[in-house]
Amino acid sequence: MMDTTAGLVGIAVLFVLLALRIPVAFAMFMVGFFGIWALNGLNAATSLLASEAFTFGSSPELLVIPLFILMGNVASITGMSRQLYDAAYAVIGSVKGGLASATVIGCGGFAALSGSSVASALTMGKVALGEMERYKYDPRLSTGVVAAGGTLGILIPPSTGFVIYAILTEQSIGRLFLAGVFPGLLLVSLFVLAVTVLCYLRPEYGPAGPKTSMNEKLVAVSKAGPIVAVIVLTIGGIYGGLFSPVEAAAVGAGAVILIGFAMRSLPLVALWTAAKESVVTTATVMLILIAAHMINPFLALSHIPTLVGGFMDGLDLSATGVLLVILLIYIILGCFLEGFAMLVLTLPIFFPIIVAEGIDPIWFGVLVVLALEMGLISPPVGLNVFIVKSIAPKVSLGQIFSGVALFWFMMLVTLVILVMVPQISLFLPTTMFG
Amino acid sequence: MRLWPQCRSKRLENIRKLADRLIGLSAAIGSTALLVAVVVVLIDVIGRAAGNPLYGSQDITTMAMTVLVFAPMALCDRRGGHVAVDLFERYFPARMNKLIDILVAIFGAVIFAALAWATWDSAKLSVMLNLSTNLLYLPKAWFQWGMIAFMSLASLGLALRALELSLTGRDVRAEKSL
Amino acid sequence: AQELKFANFTPPFHTVNASVIEKLNADMSAATDGVLTVRGYHGGELGKGPVEQYIRAVQGVADITWGLQGYTSSQFEKAMIVELPGVVPEGKSGADALWDAMDLIGGEFPGTVPVALWTSEPNVMIMREKVVRSPSDLEGLKIRVAGATAGKVAEALGATPVQMPINQVYNALQTGLIDGVFTGSSTLDDFKLDEVANSFTIGAPLGRLSFFAVMGQGSYEALSDEAKAAFDASVGRDVSNNAESAWNATGVAGVARARQDAKNTFVDLTEAEIQAFRDAVSAVTSTYVADVGGDATLAAMQK
Ligand code: NA
Ligand code: NA
Repeated sequence: MMDTTAGLVGIAVLFVLLALRIPVAFAMFMVGFFGIWALNGLNAATSLLASEAFTFGSSPELLVIPLFILMGNVASITGMSRQLYDAAYAVIGSVKGGLASATVIGCGGFAALSGSSVASALTMGKVALGEMERYKYDPRLSTGVVAAGGTLGILIPPSTGFVIYAILTEQSIGRLFLAGVFPGLLLVSLFVLAVTVLCYLRPEYGPAGPKTSMNEKLVAVSKAGPIVAVIVLTIGGIYGGLFSPVEAAAVGAGAVILIGFAMRSLPLVALWTAAKESVVTTATVMLILIAAHMINPFLALSHIPTLVGGFMDGLDLSATGVLLVILLIYIILGCFLEGFAMLVLTLPIFFPIIVAEGIDPIWFGVLVVLALEMGLISPPVGLNVFIVKSIAPKVSLGQIFSGVALFWFMMLVTLVILVMVPQISLFLPTTMFG
Repeated sequence: MRLWPQCRSKRLENIRKLADRLIGLSAAIGSTALLVAVVVVLIDVIGRAAGNPLYGSQDITTMAMTVLVFAPMALCDRRGGHVAVDLFERYFPARMNKLIDILVAIFGAVIFAALAWATWDSAKLSVMLNLSTNLLYLPKAWFQWGMIAFMSLASLGLALRALELSLTGRDVRAEKSL
Repeated sequence: AQELKFANFTPPFHTVNASVIEKLNADMSAATDGVLTVRGYHGGELGKGPVEQYIRAVQGVADITWGLQGYTSSQFEKAMIVELPGVVPEGKSGADALWDAMDLIGGEFPGTVPVALWTSEPNVMIMREKVVRSPSDLEGLKIRVAGATAGKVAEALGATPVQMPINQVYNALQTGLIDGVFTGSSTLDDFKLDEVANSFTIGAPLGRLSFFAVMGQGSYEALSDEAKAAFDASVGRDVSNNAESAWNATGVAGVARARQDAKNTFVDLTEAEIQAFRDAVSAVTSTYVADVGGDATLAAMQK
């Protein structure tokens, strides 16, 4: 009981520290460190400090983060992002909010390349935010689109979210990947719909550009050739078996650097600046990730997750009721926990309940990953919002949170649709695997 | 607050100049590590396609990562890069915001000092257990010592920022960055 | 009552839970009338990943941890000999081989009390679109390997060893980035590799994986005399062999299930075919043993 009290106090303190503007990473370090100290001794707390820092700071998977940031930075310095957005602007700029819709679709495409929401938001943010600013889009819309669109990284395969879910629950990774495809496309469509409706009602959010001739469109699109080639090369290389998704990030970065050299748009000084900017952003992101994983052992030691599971058992609900309560818990937990930490803590408790209720585990996996995406943009701890903030320092966190609200709501709508129509998730895996 | 004698404030400025040089150097080491990682992965990918991957490439990239993640920490804070929830800032009185700024810098200094100290402990174990990477046998302790240096610099940078904020009111984060 | 924390970086239904964690809990609480119990913290709740587990035991993050010697092979120079092809004799368990060599390898476990030492089922070839019957079939194929010695084995067979974290293997096999993996058959279940692999070669001497479970010296010293006695009686060969049998059973079940699937090709090598592989890899074992001065250890493991 004392353990649980400590856990609840820890969560309350975390909220207070965050509200007092203590940087997110610092607040999580403090709560995690003192919480583990209280429940497991000072040695355990210090030891975890060093081992989580080293484990995350030397993780071969997380190398994608600095590599994709570098790719995004070099693409903007050399003007490749600009060419890409000029092309998008020429093609659909005359539609209100057209660039924001293009960014959503871009995020969906990038998600086919990246398994991580953080990497997606960072790269797309580096490419898109400055460009949408240039075309006078409201920062709430542009940052909201990037933060929310970035979360598609874990719904559209490949996805680290599905991999972790599969390993924690002994489900098929292949089935889960396929199950994420249609929900991902549905979410992209609903995001585009939301952008279009918003900009139709409030044109100042995404002002329409001038109409362009077919010739102007063709010229703009052909100028974007180099960056399109890089994107095709990296996605093609992954699916063609030439390199892994992590290596694709290095190939993408290497390719934009070489193109920059070849086109004389990347002086060495600029490359050096891009590298420096990239590692500084990486430091911000990694410190948050490491700190988030100090909270994880603390909550495990407090036994709060086990308690919640026991409470669920006592409620005596129907299968649908159980599903809805669990999803609600995920949405609430998602407000203040890092997504993967949340999976590790809760799945061992919830998954047996789900199986006992006869709920399809693949379908449940899709719902959980979508709830996890909502957590990535919900206050107060919204990892993707922090990520976007780290690359858009001039926009306040409040503005970004208000910008993602619309998209959070569209995710909720998607979640409801997916709950009502399981076939959207299950059609592909059932057809392909039988 | 402004009673702080002129000559001491001058001394603080000199310390800041020295600190900025170290912070810049540290970040430069991180940038180099990132470019090294890119080159190593590219050589590995191209070599593998030709049936000849780079031996131990993962050893190099993961250890380069310890450098590129922690070396820029000091610069990250120098630029005010650590993300905070700014939702309520405008409702707080100015004095409270200033106090919070100082406290944050002190907390940060303590956290990075604790990280450095814990890593020091762990590095001693790495030596005792003879830990190294699996293919190239790069000793783990070397990279932990590097991390300790970077974490200590970040801690000192934060401590200096706390001093400046409380003694002269200078906030380096608002200035043109390195 | 005292509860020992056992940190498990894998999910709760992983083989290790029933065969080591729950067994220790049952044995110790039976010996102490429920005074001393063991509680598993699964899925890396107490700290992520396999690499830092030994250190976490030494520093008291958990009382007991388990891990793979191969993730920090430089620490376990001599203990790693058990992983090499042809070391564990037919009919002897890897656990017994390790405990027989305890006097020689015990120094590689400083700051802890060994709870269990065991090995996996022998490695098999898990391939995609490539059927392997002889070393020449492996010529130029890209094979994912876990560590340096496994890499040497792959090289000795003419393959190109590729380093990659285990959780990226699924994607890499699917896209054809790698042609196969040399690892224990229990990973068929653990990492779903049978979904993307379709050719399996069994019987070649490719070595095996080895595992440890250790208790931090500090946690051990803190036990009462009675608890120490119950602990001492519960750890060692018995729980180690129990773990190894469970691993073997998981591996056998994985293979049996994969054999049911019509898409899969199974190559069960004949004695003559096995000899060709044995000849190709024998130098790997002898070179490694010579490099670490492990003649006595090898002899103890094989006695
Ligand atoms: Na993805
Ligand atoms: Na959240």
